[in-house]
Amino acid sequence: MDLFKIFSISGSGMAAQKSRMSVVAGNLANSESTRTVDGGPYRRRDVIFQAAPPPGDFTDELNDIAADRERAQGVEVVGVKQSNRPPRRIFDPSHPDASSEGYVAMPDINPIEEMVDMLSAVRSYEANLSAFNSTKALIRKILDLGRNQ
Amino acid sequence: MSIVKNVDLVYRPAPLANPKNLDEPAKGDFNNLLKSAMGEVGDLQEKANQSIQQMVGEGKGDLQDTMIALEKADVSFKLMMQIRNKVLDAYQEIMRMQV
Repeated sequence: MDLFKIFSISGSGMAAQKSRMSVVAGNLANSESTRTVDGGPYRRRDVIFQAAPPPGDFTDELNDIAADRERAQGVEVVGVKQSNRPPRRIFDPSHPDASSEGYVAMPDINPIEEMVDMLSAVRSYEANLSAFNSTKALIRKILDLGRNQ
Repeated sequence: MSIVKNVDLVYRPAPLANPKNLDEPAKGDFNNLLKSAMGEVGDLQEKANQSIQQMVGEGKGDLQDTMIALEKADVSFKLMMQIRNKVLDAYQEIMRMQV
């Protein structure tokens, strides 16, 4: 059903915002990590979104392509990118990872920026949820049409 | 006769769509249509079931995917119920018919 495609699109949006949420949570959690498996302090990460046709019926898809119809796009996460901002250098000679001059390389993570990113992800998630609920309400209304009063 | 013909021309409504052009389900009578629709409802419920089992049992999968599968099953079931109600209404209407 075509209306189910809207469910899939909203679902892809929610999934994308959820992975953004986990990346932001990771940034916040690692705001003071001086060690990583790659060496050096943790680097801030960002998700990359890409428009993609929603997963759906294969025949639907083929029909759309055959008729050269533009398809509504969902979203998918194509990757997580590390930022190349240089680490902050903080003077703390007592820190175990301090250099010989007493400076520690800390991840350049601004908690305020991360909080704003998180709020934006939550709002986006809610927007997708609203779209989902509106579709649901629409379907209920259509079905009410057949009800005998 | 010619008057009758003219009247006929005036009052014949143009068909909204040529019935032959409509997408017919392959040799579909209503029975087959209903059966395939019921099969689809069953499919969606099965998918929802699997999704719940994966989510709750094995802790795999996404919460929203499970909810979406549930909603799809719910909506298709409701649609089936509406069709059933309509068919039953029609049946009862016929049974009430005075002969």
